[in-house]
Amino acid sequence: MFQLSRQTVSRHKALYVGSFVALAFGVFMLGLAATATAATIAYRGPLGAVVKVTTLGGQDTPPQRVSIRTGAEDVSGLQTVLSMVGSICGFITIFVIASTFAFAVASRRRELGLLRLIGATPQQIRRMILGEALVVAVVAALTGAFFAHLATPLLLAKASYSELAPVKLEPASPWLPLSIAMAVGLMVALLGAHAAARRAGRIAPIDALREAALEPPRIGPVRVVFGVLFLVGSIALLALIRPSSGEAAMPLAMFTPMLLVIGLTLIAPIVVPVLGRLWAAPLVAWTHVSGRLARSNIVAAPRRSASLAAPILTISAIAGSMVLSLSFAADSEAASLRDTMIAPIVVPGGSAERVAATPGVAVVDAGLPVQFVRISTDYAELESAEGIDPAVATRTRDLTPSKGDLSRLTGNTVAVSKEMAGFERYRVGSKIPVTFLDKTEVKLTVVAIVPDAFGLNPSFLVPADLARKHAPAAQPERLFVLPAAGVDAAELTGRIDGAVSARAWEAAQADGLRKGNEFGLILLLGPAALYSAIAIANTLLMGSLQRRQEFTTSRLLGATPSQLRRMVLWESALVGATALSQGAAITVTVGALVRYAMTAGLSDVPITIPWGVLLGIGGVCLTLAVGSALAPASYILRVVNRETAVHQGQ
Amino acid sequence: MTAIAPSYPSTPQASAPALVLDGITKTYRSKAGGVDALRGVTYHFPRGSFTAVMGPSGSGKSTLLQCAAGLDQPSTGAVVLGGVNLRGLGEVALTKLRREEMGFVFQAYNLLPSLTVFDNVALPLRLTGKRPNRNDVLGVLEQVGLGDKAKRRPAELSGGQQQRVAIARALITRPSVFFADEPTGALDSNSSRQVLALLREATDRAGQTVVMVTHDPVAAAYAERVLFLSDGLIAGHLDRGTPGQIAAAMSDLER
Repeated sequence: MFQLSRQTVSRHKALYVGSFVALAFGVFMLGLAATATAATIAYRGPLGAVVKVTTLGGQDTPPQRVSIRTGAEDVSGLQTVLSMVGSICGFITIFVIASTFAFAVASRRRELGLLRLIGATPQQIRRMILGEALVVAVVAALTGAFFAHLATPLLLAKASYSELAPVKLEPASPWLPLSIAMAVGLMVALLGAHAAARRAGRIAPIDALREAALEPPRIGPVRVVFGVLFLVGSIALLALIRPSSGEAAMPLAMFTPMLLVIGLTLIAPIVVPVLGRLWAAPLVAWTHVSGRLARSNIVAAPRRSASLAAPILTISAIAGSMVLSLSFAADSEAASLRDTMIAPIVVPGGSAERVAATPGVAVVDAGLPVQFVRISTDYAELESAEGIDPAVATRTRDLTPSKGDLSRLTGNTVAVSKEMAGFERYRVGSKIPVTFLDKTEVKLTVVAIVPDAFGLNPSFLVPADLARKHAPAAQPERLFVLPAAGVDAAELTGRIDGAVSARAWEAAQADGLRKGNEFGLILLLGPAALYSAIAIANTLLMGSLQRRQEFTTSRLLGATPSQLRRMVLWESALVGATALSQGAAITVTVGALVRYAMTAGLSDVPITIPWGVLLGIGGVCLTLAVGSALAPASYILRVVNRETAVHQGQ
Repeated sequence: MTAIAPSYPSTPQASAPALVLDGITKTYRSKAGGVDALRGVTYHFPRGSFTAVMGPSGSGKSTLLQCAAGLDQPSTGAVVLGGVNLRGLGEVALTKLRREEMGFVFQAYNLLPSLTVFDNVALPLRLTGKRPNRNDVLGVLEQVGLGDKAKRRPAELSGGQQQRVAIARALITRPSVFFADEPTGALDSNSSRQVLALLREATDRAGQTVVMVTHDPVAAAYAERVLFLSDGLIAGHLDRGTPGQIAAAMSDLER
């Protein structure tokens, strides 16, 4: 059977070049992420910048000794980004591979039926398809790993001394990370081919005798149930987790669209014909034949259409959801900043004493930034805190605690943000063991739970004296200033060196946040988008190359080349529109739920929809889809033209 | 034309029919209601016989062939092949029976384009897990007159040659019954003659049974008996008819 697999692969080159390119590129991306992660793990910073602590241990977890890197040479940002890039690429790979194999099986119905007819058992067919997947996957994984190895030094050179890894990174031993990437690639390929193989096993011998290679449109009830479960489950997930910051929304905006995509794909044979008909309505009305033909081709073979649409659906849903959610996150953060801020004047980086000496200044809130390692049951983490004078800070910002009392913030105490308290189940009276960077271990008692205000307060507030004691060199990053009674804020702002109005400062903060988000999105989605572009072109190219027979027949029936070209144009546009409308639905769902969760308790939250980016994503997908269907179709039509000319000449 | 009187053999051991159709019916469900393709067909195909099945289009001849070969399940009635009732056989058991006892030849040659002629013919053996004997495969190819084409691919052969490869592939497992659906439908008369002669030879030399659906009286004349099918029922038969007699019987039926 394996020999047969090898021979059939070489026959269906067009089908398998597609799977090969998709998988090789997927393994390449995974390999790069893995080697770069290995480089960050292998990186050894200066010894002094490490705090060693012992975790508390829980019921099943023994206490552990961990080293927490502090200061500038932190590379965990890069590690986080790499793991997210890796998982997006892994997901897209499994999706693209599954759909290319599904497509390959659907277009080979007759051939597989013939094999069944001359005595292949369903199991033999399944093994053959899996064998084919293995042949392609082994070659693709090796190729991808090889190129990843070549590209690693380039990536590390680019990543070194960047915002995410402010150090010099050297390539580590490539064997382990590349083996992992290859193993993941092989697994993904077999997993992706599994469903296709099962469907192939169900092809009946009689299919060899049927002229039309049309698939039965029915789908099993199990599939529908799972599809609906995935859809409902991911919406429930979004509604329950309720992210309250951009940082928490990012992974959610990345993973829930994946689940929604899986759900929609499972019920694609139901959804695609409906959407296809809907989008085709104007086409049928405007065109003579081509629109009608395109509609029948899409509607009659929903699985084939769904396979073609899969990469577009995947990337548009993930990219759209992330872009929209992060924009909404920035909106709500701007609103929460505005709601929390009381002081009308901000002095970034000013001297507290000098500002306090300025006539007309009533109160200067000079919070001191301080860091400590917070120790939990099974992990420890470097946290940012602010040392405040509660009597002053409660006048310049809204710190009204939901529980506890801020006036008790003296000595070894801490006030915790509502979100952090929710994550860690901290209550008033809880004791949090921490180690300050001067290596002193302290148990902080929680005295209050305060509202979240990202960009204004960190998750932990400690007494200013405590901060000064453990970080004597700390200087305030910004001062919040209240004018004395009767003093005009704008006039006072003019008299303080470097002072800006609170509104201007908030706008600048929100701006910075959006810029940071943009950078993160480009980093996360850039490789995925590139990959998807290849996958989209790949799938449609593959689909068009299969249609020579059909084009020949249509030409002989009297269809002109331009009619056929228009049909292909409308058809690929319909595939694109079907996929993009599903992607848009996912984007809106995820965006709306994230926004709903984040804006709870806030009023007048601005709505910023990044239309340019969203429409750009759609436009690029559509252009790619149409272009990569039309190019091979035109080529085939030229060949067919020559052939039919010869026939007619005889 | 005489009516068919189903005659059950008195000594089943000696002359057990190769294939028995026992009152099979087939109803296709459609939106407009049921369509009766077969309405109770009973017939015994004797061992070593060459039977042609003819009838106007829509008479149910292809359905008959598909039910007889276990490709489709009759709505009622039984198909017994070589003493084995096909109803109740699982997919795998049916597949194994098919690859050991049945050979198929169809109008579309149904060869795998990626395999050479040799590999196409050897494929049924490979599927059973046997290592194909090189001489057996070449011998069968020799028998169909394609001994020198073993290394070619189907696309390099003419239609008649491809059909003969399909016959070689069916011969390789020495099946007891051949099912042929319009085997000469796409061939010129010269190629048709060669293909039909091969089927004739299978019954005469190896005692294999051939059931052939065709609409061509010339092709049907190679069979010793022609069954006429009309509206899902056997309307009659003609033994050792000439193409002219068969054509006349057909036009009677279509009137």
